[in-house]
Amino acid sequence: MYLVSKIEDTVRIPPDRFEEPLEEVTIELLNDSYVGAIDKKLGLMVTVKEIEDIGIGKVIMGDGAAYHDVTFTALSFKPELHEIVEGEVIEITEFGAFIRIGPMDGLVHVSQVTDDYINYDGKRGALLGKESKKTLEEGDKVRARVVALSLKGKSSKETKIGLTMRQPGLGRFEWIEEEKNKKAKKKTTKEGKK
Amino acid sequence: MASRKKLTRFEKARVIGARALQLSMGAKPQVEASASSDAIDIAILELKENKLPLDVNRIKK
Repeated sequence: MYLVSKIEDTVRIPPDRFEEPLEEVTIELLNDSYVGAIDKKLGLMVTVKEIEDIGIGKVIMGDGAAYHDVTFTALSFKPELHEIVEGEVIEITEFGAFIRIGPMDGLVHVSQVTDDYINYDGKRGALLGKESKKTLEEGDKVRARVVALSLKGKSSKETKIGLTMRQPGLGRFEWIEEEKNKKAKKKTTKEGKK
Repeated sequence: MASRKKLTRFEKARVIGARALQLSMGAKPQVEASASSDAIDIAILELKENKLPLDVNRIKK
Protein backbone atom coordinates (compact mmCIF):
# COMPACT_ATOMS: atom_id res chain seq x y z
CA MET A 1 0.00 0.00 0.00
CA TYR A 2 1.24 3.47 -0.80
CA LEU A 3 1.20 6.10 1.90
CA VAL A 4 1.35 9.87 1.74
CA SER A 5 2.59 11.23 5.04
CA LYS A 6 3.54 14.55 6.51
CA ILE A 7 7.09 14.71 7.86
CA GLU A 8 8.92 17.36 9.85
CA ASP A 9 12.67 17.60 9.58
CA THR A 10 15.59 20.00 9.49
CA VAL A 11 17.39 20.48 6.24
CA ARG A 12 20.91 21.86 5.88
CA ILE A 13 21.42 24.25 2.97
CA PRO A 14 25.14 24.64 2.19
CA PRO A 15 26.37 28.21 1.47
CA ASP A 16 27.24 27.53 -2.16
CA ARG A 17 23.53 26.95 -2.85
CA PHE A 18 22.18 30.13 -1.25
CA GLU A 19 21.64 31.71 -4.66
CA GLU A 20 19.35 28.96 -5.93
CA PRO A 21 15.60 28.97 -5.23
CA LEU A 22 15.15 27.69 -1.68
CA GLU A 23 12.24 25.35 -2.35
CA GLU A 24 13.94 23.57 -5.25
CA VAL A 25 17.16 23.06 -3.30
CA THR A 26 15.17 21.79 -0.31
CA ILE A 27 13.29 19.23 -2.40
CA GLU A 28 16.53 18.05 -3.99
CA LEU A 29 18.34 17.71 -0.66
CA LEU A 30 15.39 15.92 0.95
CA ASN A 31 15.14 13.53 -1.98
CA ASP A 32 18.86 12.79 -1.67
CA SER A 33 18.56 11.88 1.98
CA TYR A 34 15.16 10.16 1.99
CA VAL A 35 14.56 8.29 -1.25
CA GLY A 36 15.49 4.63 -0.96
CA ALA A 37 15.57 4.69 2.83
CA ILE A 38 13.37 2.32 4.78
CA ASP A 39 11.39 3.48 7.77
CA LYS A 40 9.66 1.12 10.15
CA LYS A 41 6.37 2.98 10.06
CA LEU A 42 6.38 4.31 6.50
CA GLY A 43 8.17 1.59 4.57
CA LEU A 44 10.27 2.46 1.53
CA MET A 45 10.43 6.16 0.72
CA VAL A 46 9.61 6.75 -2.93
CA THR A 47 9.73 10.51 -3.31
CA VAL A 48 9.20 13.87 -1.63
CA LYS A 49 5.86 15.17 -2.86
CA GLU A 50 5.44 18.70 -1.71
CA ILE A 51 7.00 21.21 0.67
CA GLU A 52 4.35 22.59 3.00
CA ASP A 53 6.37 24.98 5.08
CA ILE A 54 9.97 26.18 5.30
CA GLY A 55 11.08 28.02 8.43
CA ILE A 56 13.74 30.75 8.41
CA GLY A 57 17.32 29.58 8.22
CA LYS A 58 19.47 29.40 11.32
CA VAL A 59 23.25 29.57 11.42
CA ILE A 60 24.77 27.40 14.11
CA MET A 61 28.24 27.45 15.64
CA GLY A 62 31.02 26.00 13.56
CA ASP A 63 29.05 25.67 10.35
CA GLY A 64 28.24 28.30 7.77
CA ALA A 65 25.23 26.46 6.42
CA ALA A 66 21.63 27.49 6.99
CA TYR A 67 19.38 25.09 8.86
CA HIS A 68 15.71 25.28 7.95
CA ASP A 69 12.87 23.48 9.71
CA VAL A 70 10.69 22.04 6.97
CA THR A 71 7.33 20.33 6.85
CA PHE A 72 6.75 18.25 3.75
CA THR A 73 4.65 15.42 2.39
CA ALA A 74 6.32 12.28 1.11
CA LEU A 75 5.17 9.22 -0.79
CA SER A 76 6.19 5.83 0.56
CA PHE A 77 5.42 2.20 -0.16
CA LYS A 78 4.71 -0.16 2.70
CA PRO A 79 3.79 -3.76 2.00
CA GLU A 80 1.48 -5.15 4.64
CA LEU A 81 0.80 -8.67 5.78
CA HIS A 82 -2.19 -10.26 4.03
CA GLU A 83 -2.31 -7.47 1.49
CA ILE A 84 -3.32 -8.44 -2.06
CA VAL A 85 -0.81 -7.22 -4.62
CA GLU A 86 -0.61 -7.33 -8.39
CA GLY A 87 2.64 -7.40 -10.29
CA GLU A 88 4.77 -8.72 -13.07
CA VAL A 89 7.05 -11.77 -12.95
CA ILE A 90 10.56 -10.45 -13.45
CA GLU A 91 12.61 -13.56 -12.82
CA ILE A 92 12.09 -17.30 -12.55
CA THR A 93 14.45 -19.49 -10.55
CA GLU A 94 14.26 -23.11 -9.55
CA PHE A 95 13.00 -22.17 -6.10
CA GLY A 96 10.33 -19.72 -7.19
CA ALA A 97 9.33 -16.58 -9.04
CA PHE A 98 10.22 -12.98 -8.26
CA ILE A 99 7.32 -10.57 -8.65
CA ARG A 100 7.78 -6.84 -9.00
CA ILE A 101 5.21 -5.09 -6.81
CA GLY A 102 5.87 -1.39 -7.27
CA PRO A 103 9.27 -0.34 -5.94
CA MET A 104 9.99 -3.68 -4.24
CA ASP A 105 10.20 -7.31 -5.31
CA GLY A 106 8.47 -10.27 -3.69
CA LEU A 107 9.14 -13.98 -3.96
CA VAL A 108 6.58 -16.69 -4.65
CA HIS A 109 8.14 -19.97 -3.57
CA VAL A 110 7.54 -22.94 -5.91
CA SER A 111 5.40 -24.56 -3.22
CA GLN A 112 3.19 -21.49 -3.20
CA VAL A 113 2.58 -21.10 -6.94
CA THR A 114 -0.26 -23.62 -7.43
CA ASP A 115 -1.80 -26.64 -5.68
CA ASP A 116 -0.22 -28.70 -8.47
CA TYR A 117 3.28 -30.23 -8.42
CA ILE A 118 5.66 -27.75 -10.05
CA ASN A 119 8.59 -28.48 -12.34
CA TYR A 120 11.28 -25.97 -13.23
CA ASP A 121 12.21 -25.66 -16.89
CA GLY A 122 15.67 -24.09 -16.92
CA LYS A 123 15.82 -23.72 -20.71
CA ARG A 124 12.63 -21.71 -20.96
CA GLY A 125 13.01 -20.10 -17.57
CA ALA A 126 9.50 -21.20 -16.69
CA LEU A 127 7.60 -23.06 -13.98
CA LEU A 128 5.28 -25.82 -15.23
CA GLY A 129 2.38 -27.47 -13.43
CA LYS A 130 2.52 -31.28 -13.71
CA GLU A 131 -1.19 -32.01 -14.14
CA SER A 132 -2.87 -28.66 -14.73
CA LYS A 133 -0.41 -27.66 -17.50
CA LYS A 134 -0.27 -24.20 -16.00
CA THR A 135 2.86 -22.24 -16.86
CA LEU A 136 4.50 -19.24 -15.29
CA GLU A 137 7.06 -17.23 -17.24
CA GLU A 138 8.87 -13.95 -17.11
CA GLY A 139 6.55 -11.08 -17.97
CA ASP A 140 3.35 -12.75 -16.76
CA LYS A 141 1.00 -10.59 -14.72
CA VAL A 142 -0.07 -12.15 -11.45
CA ARG A 143 -2.12 -11.45 -8.35
CA ALA A 144 -0.72 -12.62 -5.01
CA ARG A 145 -1.05 -12.20 -1.25
CA VAL A 146 1.71 -11.08 1.10
CA VAL A 147 2.33 -13.80 3.69
CA ALA A 148 5.78 -12.97 5.05
CA LEU A 149 7.51 -9.67 5.63
CA SER A 150 10.99 -8.64 6.67
CA LEU A 151 11.78 -4.94 6.49
CA LYS A 152 14.86 -5.15 8.67
CA GLY A 153 17.42 -3.92 6.17
CA LYS A 154 18.26 -0.32 5.47
CA SER A 155 17.86 -0.57 1.71
CA SER A 156 15.24 -2.14 -0.53
CA LYS A 157 17.75 -4.87 -1.44
CA GLU A 158 17.75 -6.32 2.05
CA THR A 159 13.98 -6.55 2.42
CA LYS A 160 12.21 -9.84 1.88
CA ILE A 161 8.59 -10.17 0.91
CA GLY A 162 7.05 -13.64 0.77
CA LEU A 163 4.01 -14.09 -1.45
CA THR A 164 1.52 -16.88 -2.08
CA MET A 165 -0.77 -17.62 -5.03
CA ARG A 166 -2.39 -20.76 -3.57
CA GLN A 167 -5.73 -19.23 -2.76
CA PRO A 168 -8.92 -18.75 -4.79
CA GLY A 169 -8.73 -15.61 -6.88
CA LEU A 170 -4.93 -15.56 -6.87
CA GLY A 171 -2.40 -16.53 -9.51
CA ARG A 172 -1.70 -15.58 -13.11
CA PHE A 173 -4.53 -13.44 -14.51
CA GLU A 174 -5.30 -16.08 -17.17
CA TRP A 175 -5.77 -18.74 -14.44
CA ILE A 176 -8.14 -16.53 -12.49
CA GLU A 177 -10.15 -15.92 -15.66
CA GLU A 178 -10.33 -19.69 -16.34
CA GLU A 179 -11.45 -20.39 -12.81
CA LYS A 180 -14.20 -17.80 -13.14
CA ASN A 181 -15.45 -19.28 -16.43
CA LYS A 182 -15.52 -22.77 -14.92
CA LYS A 183 -17.61 -21.59 -12.02
CA ALA A 184 -20.00 -19.74 -14.31
CA LYS A 185 -20.46 -22.87 -16.43
CA LYS A 186 -21.16 -25.03 -13.41
CA LYS A 187 -23.82 -22.63 -12.29
CA THR A 188 -25.59 -22.63 -15.64
CA THR A 189 -25.59 -26.44 -15.91
CA LYS A 190 -26.97 -26.75 -12.41
CA GLU A 191 -29.71 -24.30 -13.13
CA GLY A 192 -30.48 -26.14 -16.35
CA LYS A 193 -31.12 -29.36 -14.42
CA LYS A 194 -33.64 -27.67 -12.19
CA MET B 1 19.27 44.63 9.40
CA ALA B 2 18.98 48.27 8.38
CA SER B 3 16.80 49.49 11.22
CA ARG B 4 18.48 47.34 13.84
CA LYS B 5 20.01 48.46 17.06
CA LYS B 6 23.76 48.66 16.90
CA LEU B 7 25.45 45.32 17.26
CA THR B 8 27.57 44.71 20.34
CA ARG B 9 31.20 43.79 19.78
CA PHE B 10 30.37 40.15 20.57
CA GLU B 11 27.57 40.06 18.06
CA LYS B 12 29.84 41.71 15.49
CA ALA B 13 32.48 39.04 15.99
CA ARG B 14 29.93 36.23 15.75
CA VAL B 15 28.27 37.65 12.64
CA ILE B 16 31.52 38.35 10.83
CA GLY B 17 32.81 34.92 11.74
CA ALA B 18 29.68 33.17 10.50
CA ARG B 19 29.55 35.20 7.31
CA ALA B 20 33.26 34.69 6.58
CA LEU B 21 32.76 30.94 6.95
CA GLN B 22 29.83 31.05 4.57
CA LEU B 23 31.86 33.01 2.03
CA SER B 24 34.73 30.54 2.28
CA MET B 25 32.22 27.73 1.76
CA GLY B 26 31.05 29.21 -1.50
CA ALA B 27 28.38 31.82 -0.73
CA LYS B 28 28.28 34.79 -3.12
CA PRO B 29 29.53 38.11 -1.66
CA GLN B 30 26.89 40.86 -1.43
CA VAL B 31 29.52 43.56 -2.06
CA GLU B 32 32.06 44.24 -4.76
CA ALA B 33 35.32 42.79 -3.54
CA SER B 34 38.73 42.61 -5.11
CA ALA B 35 40.05 39.17 -5.85
CA SER B 36 42.86 39.50 -3.34
CA SER B 37 40.75 40.15 -0.23
CA ASP B 38 40.03 37.17 2.01
CA ALA B 39 36.73 35.97 3.39
CA ILE B 40 36.98 37.90 6.67
CA ASP B 41 37.75 41.17 4.86
CA ILE B 42 34.70 40.69 2.62
CA ALA B 43 32.54 39.92 5.65
CA ILE B 44 33.74 43.09 7.40
CA LEU B 45 33.05 45.09 4.24
CA GLU B 46 29.55 43.64 4.04
CA LEU B 47 28.91 44.62 7.65
CA LYS B 48 30.17 48.17 7.00
CA GLU B 49 27.91 48.55 3.98
CA ASN B 50 24.99 47.08 5.90
CA LYS B 51 24.61 44.31 3.37
CA LEU B 52 25.00 41.31 5.63
CA PRO B 53 22.23 38.82 4.87
CA LEU B 54 22.26 37.65 8.51
CA ASP B 55 20.10 38.68 11.44
CA VAL B 56 20.91 38.54 15.11
CA ASN B 57 18.28 36.73 17.10
CA ARG B 58 18.50 38.15 20.60
CA ILE B 59 17.01 35.85 23.19
CA LYS B 60 15.24 37.93 25.83
CA LYS B 61 15.88 37.07 29.44
